[in-house]
Order: sequence, then structure tokens, then C-alpha cells
Amino acid sequence: MIKFTERNLAPPKQMRPVYVVAAGHSDFRKRYPEKKTEELCVEAFRMLALENDLKISGIQELKGYIHSAFYGHFADHFGDQLLGEALIHDRLGLDPLGNVGIKTGGATGGSTVWMAANAVASGYSDCVLALGWERMDEVDTWTGNHYISTAADKDFETELGHIYTGYYALMAQRYWKTFGKSSDAFRRTMSKIAVKNRGYACSNPFAQGAARLTVEDVERSPIVADPLRFYDCCLMSVGASALLLCDEKTAYRLSDDPIRLFIAAGSHTLRTADRRHMDIPLLPAELDNTDVKRHYMDLYGDGETEPYPGFTGFLAARIAAHYAYNMCGIYDPMEDLDLVELHDAFTISDIQTYEDIGLRPYGSGPDYIESGDAYLINPNTGEPGRLPSNLTGGLIGCMHAVGATGIMQVGEIMWQLQNKWAKFHAPEELWERFGKEKPADFEDLQVQGARRGLAISHAGVGSHVTCSILMRPEALIKK
Amino acid sequence: MTKNAYDFNNLNPSATVIRRLDPLVIEKPRAPIHIHTYGGETRFFKGLAEGRLWGTYCDNLDCDPSGREAYIHLPPRIYCPDCLEKMEWQDITDVARETARIHTHITVLNPGAFNRVAIPCQLVSIEIEGVATVLMSQLMGAEPEIGMPVEPVFNTSNPTFTILDLAWKPR
Repeated sequence: MIKFTERNLAPPKQMRPVYVVAAGHSDFRKRYPEKKTEELCVEAFRMLALENDLKISGIQELKGYIHSAFYGHFADHFGDQLLGEALIHDRLGLDPLGNVGIKTGGATGGSTVWMAANAVASGYSDCVLALGWERMDEVDTWTGNHYISTAADKDFETELGHIYTGYYALMAQRYWKTFGKSSDAFRRTMSKIAVKNRGYACSNPFAQGAARLTVEDVERSPIVADPLRFYDCCLMSVGASALLLCDEKTAYRLSDDPIRLFIAAGSHTLRTADRRHMDIPLLPAELDNTDVKRHYMDLYGDGETEPYPGFTGFLAARIAAHYAYNMCGIYDPMEDLDLVELHDAFTISDIQTYEDIGLRPYGSGPDYIESGDAYLINPNTGEPGRLPSNLTGGLIGCMHAVGATGIMQVGEIMWQLQNKWAKFHAPEELWERFGKEKPADFEDLQVQGARRGLAISHAGVGSHVTCSILMRPEALIKK
Repeated sequence: MTKNAYDFNNLNPSATVIRRLDPLVIEKPRAPIHIHTYGGETRFFKGLAEGRLWGTYCDNLDCDPSGREAYIHLPPRIYCPDCLEKMEWQDITDVARETARIHTHITVLNPGAFNRVAIPCQLVSIEIEGVATVLMSQLMGAEPEIGMPVEPVFNTSNPTFTILDLAWKPR
């Protein structure tokens, strides 16, 4: 479909407010033979139940509130377990509650939160568990890459190298040549993202990819699919993450500090080949900006020079943001938000997403990094960055245990808005729990006074994207 | 075609390979074969083996958006994504020979398991006049560049009946 009606793009509605009140993760590792998937899921749930200051006497009381469960697990062939949701549900002791497994590739976690939120918003359930996991260590990395490549069109894409990074890199190369002008400066911006996200992971006890890198380290790392190098790519992970969603009454019964959640989803063709030129769906601030509209005419025109979204943008991300912003009243995300967690599957897709969700106009994504806006502390000025991104380390620095990723992002944003980042990242006991030593250069990554945050969960080469927006209840925009 | 040496329907339990004792980690081998149909796309994949490139187009005059200049779908679709009427086949071999260009390209150095293309592989996306889509494929015998004119090469002598039967070379 390349033509939309107003009905297609109507702002999504929640029939009643949805809150998130608690989150928990396992730690994340490339290989985790010490624990079964079930153990990791139970550990994430135990953290959710016991460490979020919930007003309950213990796990059994909390289980007395849960009404339905939504499980995110993408790859049955990786985990070698069909109907894993039934197995995990049993290990959590949540029978006979209704539950469902959700899978939308890399966006599985986000989609799981989406479905869980809709269950609360519709009135079906007052209290819902969203829990996701992935086990990617039963096969070697190259078989893993083959497995991931089967999430491309198996007849028209997978045969061509069995490597998803390659299918992404085709977009990257086009974006780089079109908007980056193949320049060294653009390459450096990509490297800075890897350095930033790996660096933030150093203060995250859950993270798998902590490293103090330099731009040179990134640019010397092996090429996976040109222009993407090893450090441009996300991690392959084992781990689990959990989130508790409630209606207003239950939220305040369980927590003194519940956070509002809005979430919407978009999609686009699985094959990049099929992306036909269309008009750009404009975000609220762009609608009022004649300069941006003129710029887009110059950039794309009638699609003769460069098709939109073509190989340079992710329509699914644009549509998800379009729905979510109009749903909750975000006008300019740079002004209205305090932090974001983006789906940095690759450094270049991270840059493309800045444009899709309106942090910068199309063609200007690198400026979000170069201006210093994307950092907790702007490296150019030493002042707080305008909109810090991926303080967890993201997919490049923290993890990409696919079914857990989008859930982890929302949980981490919630902790930031609850001013609880330190509680879940600083204690030495937490580092020791995961067999790690708290690093000497540990940094406090709490965004001071954070009131609103956003998380993007993204699948395929942009096949599914969810956009979650979290707000402190006193900081709602649309009353 | 060679088959695996041992019968996977009768795995011998005593043949379990142990990788680690604590925690206990064992191997779980398998090599299943899937029987895969191309169904309505058969003409495309047989066409490659015959040296022809087939696309599809929608001839429903009520289809919106209609009257597009670029209207052919490649990969072909059986049903129009806009109106869901059955699409018509069109041989686009000659127009591809005359107008195909590289839209974007990359080099694959580290493929996934079960890869069958020669490495390094030049992955390319191909734009063709009159085609609304941009096909992913492979380039033979040249360093790709965006905008490079190319023409199709078909593996007709020993076809694999996969998308690998199609490649492109500079024109």
C-alpha cells in the first residue's frame, strides 16, 4: 500500500490509561551455558517483582494481580523450542492465565509491549506481564547469521550470502553515498555511535558489550559487509527482560511511582526491493515547517532522483512515530523528550532512525551525534546533552537478545523516569550477582529530571517498528 | 546429490557428543531437508534457467495508484499489492539488458552458514526502466558503482533453480 487515507493514519486510541510499574532483566551474554532460558526468565521476573519497590508482600501476592501474559520470543530455530511461551509460563507458575507468544523479528520485544499495553488499554486486563527472551548460543555465529538471514525473503534474498548484515548494508551504502557523500566525516559519525554506545555499556551491569573504544578501533575492526564493520553491528545475545503493565487503579495500588505508556506500531515490506516511491508522511513539527518541506522536495522531488523512503529511510519507523506522537501530543521530539533508546542494530540504521522519528530532518541525521545532543554530557560543551540516546549501551553495547530487547528498552526508560537508574546499575552487589566487578570508571547515567522518554524497537530491514513513549503522569502533554 | 552419512531418523543415543560436563552441555545434531515450492512464482525461477527475466504488472484499470510510469514488479508478485487482483507476467529481459543500473551495492566478505555464492560476493540492487522496485542480486567480474549500467547473466547450463541463477555484469 503506498497511498494512505486519514483513516489509515488516525491517531491510535487507548480506551483507558496504561502504566508501567516494574521491570527486570537477567544479565546478557553471548553464550550462557550456566543457565537455561527458563532460569533467565524467572530471574528477570524475580527482579521485576522484588526489586521495584512494589507495595506487595512477595511474589505470590503480585501473581494474584496478573491477569494475562504476553511473551516475546522471536526465533524458534535458535532456541530449538516451539511453544516456548507455554514452557516459560509454566516455570513462572502463571497457569491457568491466558498467554500468547509474539514474534516480529527484531521488534519482537516492542511488539510484545504493544500487545500487552493494548490488553490493558482495552479493559481486557488490569495487570499484564510482558516478558521476552532469546537464546542465540546453541549454534556458532555463522549458523546464527544463517538463521537470522532466514528472516529475509528466502527465495529472493536469503540465498544471496545468508547474511542479514549484507541486506542492511545495501541500504547503508545507498544512504552513505546519497546523504553522506561517501565522506570520511560520515564514517567518523558512524564510529562515534559505536564508541558512545559501547562506552555507556561500561556502566551497565546487565550489558554484554562494554568497551572503551576509540574511533580508530571501530574503523580498524573487520569489515562484515562494507561499509559496516564489526563494531558497527549489534550483539548476538542470550537473556531475558520483563515488564509489568497496569491500569491506573492497579498501578497506584502496586506502586507509588507509575509511569504512563503510549505505544504504536508501523510496518513496511520485508524485501527492500519492494519499496516504491511515496509521499513522506510528515510529523507534527514538520507539517508547520516550510523550510523542511522545501528541503524534502529538493531531496526527493517526485522520486526521480531519490525515491522515498527508498533505501535511505525506514517507513515503518516514520509511521510508528507518526502514530505515537499524535497519540500523546509530542510536537517536536527534541524539545518534548528527555531521553531515547533507539534500535541501533547498526550504526547507520541508528542514523537513519534519527531522521525517521524527526530528531533531525531527512539527510541531516549525523548532526544529532555531531552536535553532541545524543550524549548525556555534550562532548562539545561539557553541558548536559539535549536528548541522550542509548544510555544502556543499546543493541551495540548492551545486548540484542531479540525477544527481550524492546522490553529492556522500555524498562530502562521507566527506571530513568522514576529516577531509579542508580538503583538498578550502581550497586556493587548487582555487578557481583552477574559475576562482574564494578568498573573504576563507572559513570552515573541518570538523566537529571527526566520526565519523558521514547523507545524504538525495529525488525528486519525495517519490516516492523514500534514506538513507545513514556511520560511521568504530571508531565503529560495531551490531557 | 550426496546425503548425510548417518540416518537422522535413527539417532543412536550412545553417540551423544558431550561438549562440557558442568554445566552439562551436549550436541543435538540434525540435518532436515525441506521440500519447497515456488508455486505461482514458478515462471520466474524456470525463466532464469531459460535465460529470461520475468516481472509482473497489474492490468486492472481501476487499481489505484494506476497509470504509473514504473509499474512492473520485480521480484514478481502473484497478486497486486494494491488491488489484490491477479497480476500479468511480462518478459523484461530485453529492457533489463538495455536499461539496468546499479542502485546500491556492497561486498559480502563473511557470509552466514550454508552460503553458496562465491566470496567475496558483490551484492547489488538493480533498478530497471519501467520497474517500480529494486531487485537484490549479485554482480560478476567488476567493481560495482552506483549508477553503473549492467546487463543480466543467466546460469542456463547448470541451473540451481534459485535466485543465484541470475547475476549481472557491466554493460
